[in-house]
Amino acid sequence: MTWLLRRLGISLVLIWVVATVVFLAIHMVPGDPAELLLSQGGTTPDAGVVEELREQLGLTKPLHVQYGLHMWRLLHFDLGQSMQDDSPVVAEIARRLPRTLELILAAGIMAVLIGIPTGTAAAMRRGGAFDRISSAIASLALAVPVFVVGTLMVMVFAQMLRFVPAGGFTPFTRDPAQHLALLAMPAGAIGIGLSAVVFRMTRAAVLDVMLRDYVRTARAKGVTPNRILVRHVVRTALMPVVTILALQLGTLLGGTVLVEFVFNWPGLSGLLVSAVNARDYPLVVGIITVISVLFVGLNLAVDVLYGLLDPRVRR
Amino acid sequence: MRRLPWTPIAAFALIVVIALLAPWLGLANPVSMDVPHRLAGPSAAHWLGQDEFGRDVFARLIWGARVSLSVAVAAAALACVVGTTLGVVGGFLRGIAEILALRSIDVLLCFPPLLLALLVVTLLGPGATTLIPVLALVYLPGFTRVAYAGVLTARSQDYVEAMRVLGAGKSRIMLRTILPNIGGPLLVQFSLAMAAAVVLESGLSFLGLGVVPPAPSWGLMIGAARATMTQAPLLLLWPCLALTATILVMNALCDGLRDAVDPHPAYRPTARRLLDALAPGLLPTPRAVLDLRGLTVEIDTPHGPIHPVRDVSLQVFPGETLAIVGESGSGKSVTSLAITGLLPGAARVISGAACLDGTDLLRLSEDRLRNLRGAAMAMVFQDPGSSLNPVHRIGDQIAEAIIAHRPMPRAQATSAALALLQRVGIPDPARRLRAFPHELSGGMRQRVMIAIAIANGPRLLIADEPTTALDVTIQAQVLDLLADLKRERGLALLFITHSLPVVAEIADRVAVMYAGEIVETGPTAEVFLNPRHPYTAALLRSAPVEDGPAPEGIAGVVPPPTALPPGCIFAPRCDRAAPVCTTTHPALEAAGEGRAVRCIRWNQP
Repeated sequence: MTWLLRRLGISLVLIWVVATVVFLAIHMVPGDPAELLLSQGGTTPDAGVVEELREQLGLTKPLHVQYGLHMWRLLHFDLGQSMQDDSPVVAEIARRLPRTLELILAAGIMAVLIGIPTGTAAAMRRGGAFDRISSAIASLALAVPVFVVGTLMVMVFAQMLRFVPAGGFTPFTRDPAQHLALLAMPAGAIGIGLSAVVFRMTRAAVLDVMLRDYVRTARAKGVTPNRILVRHVVRTALMPVVTILALQLGTLLGGTVLVEFVFNWPGLSGLLVSAVNARDYPLVVGIITVISVLFVGLNLAVDVLYGLLDPRVRR
Repeated sequence: MRRLPWTPIAAFALIVVIALLAPWLGLANPVSMDVPHRLAGPSAAHWLGQDEFGRDVFARLIWGARVSLSVAVAAAALACVVGTTLGVVGGFLRGIAEILALRSIDVLLCFPPLLLALLVVTLLGPGATTLIPVLALVYLPGFTRVAYAGVLTARSQDYVEAMRVLGAGKSRIMLRTILPNIGGPLLVQFSLAMAAAVVLESGLSFLGLGVVPPAPSWGLMIGAARATMTQAPLLLLWPCLALTATILVMNALCDGLRDAVDPHPAYRPTARRLLDALAPGLLPTPRAVLDLRGLTVEIDTPHGPIHPVRDVSLQVFPGETLAIVGESGSGKSVTSLAITGLLPGAARVISGAACLDGTDLLRLSEDRLRNLRGAAMAMVFQDPGSSLNPVHRIGDQIAEAIIAHRPMPRAQATSAALALLQRVGIPDPARRLRAFPHELSGGMRQRVMIAIAIANGPRLLIADEPTTALDVTIQAQVLDLLADLKRERGLALLFITHSLPVVAEIADRVAVMYAGEIVETGPTAEVFLNPRHPYTAALLRSAPVEDGPAPEGIAGVVPPPTALPPGCIFAPRCDRAAPVCTTTHPALEAAGEGRAVRCIRWNQP
């Protein structure tokens, strides 16, 4: 229990540090955000207008006051307004985040369903035909960047075979079938690489566990090979696999950018790219803060999960 | 370091050379446009055709490699220098430097990599020059961690301590001893960072946040070709292929380097091979629970087959303890694993017979052997810490052994497990049933292992160094428990150990093994009082005796199994060796009542 509380405390400190770093990073940009925003298109903005915007953005106050204000708002889940259309950043994020999470979740499920059984089977018959073929496929899947997979999928399945639309998004509540059809390709594009990662991790972990003394003990007890595989080998081998998978899913929080772009999936990462391009600072700060907090939270969840899987950690 | 991965190294070198030589390959100008011929197919002048602005695709591919690799190498190098410095300084100076270096890395790790890159691109604006610090920042933590871990390991090593004692300065110690040691892992990290940087650079360029047009970059080319993929699908395919092939080569390089730096043994599945030769046509020894005849084990090694156990014969009777004693490497553990069919993959029995109550274990199918393991014969291993599964409760692990042979309801198996824990003397057994192995002491864990072993009332119990990992006082308790169980249940106990005092305490009879052979057997008291083999005698002299003479070592070393002497294997170390001993291999011959010895000179003065 104290172990859990300590981890929770560390996570809270990390979240605070992350929010501070993002705040400072934006304020250390060479050049003035207000001026940059207004000078788009190569025109030199009017000094009075710049000053007005600075006032409006609160940039005229001393840094520590701005920081205090920023943190105070963060505590109240207020991330400010978008500079493009004055809409609240929180509302926009709340609308986009579930779509990105759905994509990640679907890819994660695919990776588990494909990677763990094939990885286990490959390890059990190490050096055999199945192992060689599946390992070669995994190496290839790891080498193709996700946007290449996505683009090729669009070309083959949407343009040439016309199985599915090239991209877009339909809310599940409006048309579930269409929603899932549109989800298939982007989730698949992420899932292929992720499956390869899970496959490799599972294979390595199973090979490692097979050499452990307790597997020999199980054999010495006369336990059947299938039961040894499920109860002793896969059960223990899953611990590193779950950790790696969760961390991979975490990096996907920002990493779906490319796939969302390719398939025109209106998720959080797509919003981030357009915010970066428009230099919409409040939106960029908001999204990055939210994703980082989620990432820290996920790491905490992984630790807790690890504690559940491995009794030695719980203390 | 093990063998280097030459194939990926050569392939990677080829890519690098092509990229380096791009300006001198007589390629078309990669940025000069030819709009009238936009999307033109392959021709003599343009091997792979022309893109949407009529630029030469082949030239852009080659120049794209140049951009990709230079960004990746520069980023990885920057990350390596800064990250390693942080890690080494943090690990070596400790204190504030350590906290600053590691905590700042922890903060970096709070951002998903692509997100971190996007944040920096927002701040600095897109472009190839921005990409390098961006990618360096993303891969910096890996280097710091590797360097820090390397320094911490190296610090604690004797030679670094020695240098410090000799008065070497800190910076000199750092340069001379630590950097060369972490070179391997850093090289692996470098190749990983480079491969990942190629991926990230192409992704950012694809989004329009990396390399700025019209400079050639694979990511940009793929992004641009998307618009025309229905008219010119090949335009999309070429950069995809170039990028994938490059990453494939770099990944192979990483894997190869990692294996070369950190070779680790891995499980190799092999089906247990049954002995096809017929059992030696000998009458089984009456009453013996275990009757082992002429067991020989072979292991395939890169230097050819070796035989760690040769022609081992022994019998164990009900209610009797036979101890196999020998140094490590004498083949005593291999013998026990061969009997139970638990030899690791590379080893196999090539001749002999092992009869358990008349059934030859070496010629039994795996299924039938499994039915005997844990039932008629059971094993206790050396290290109870690693022999119990860390993630399952004690009670479940005992119940599993019971249910494997006697299917019964879970509750019944649990109460049987409780009774077993009580029998092996574990206090508060009801609570311990729910404990995990790490919550018990070493002695308790070994008692649990014994409970598992006796769960199904075995006829034969094989204990392989069961007390070696335990404290002396705990050792005595575990030995007493084994002796009690043997008496109470009429077990045949095969006890494997390297410790003569333990043999003296527990064994009725003893078999002394040396370099894969039994050199002497007989009743323990007689063998100890009156050893007939020079090795047994030397072994007894080497054991410390209370208030006795100082122990004597045995001159020389055990011959390696790859280079056994032609005659008596002990002859090179024997103080009684005669010329004949180096040419004739002695047989195990009877030497008095219940005794046998493998020495031609045992009855000569």
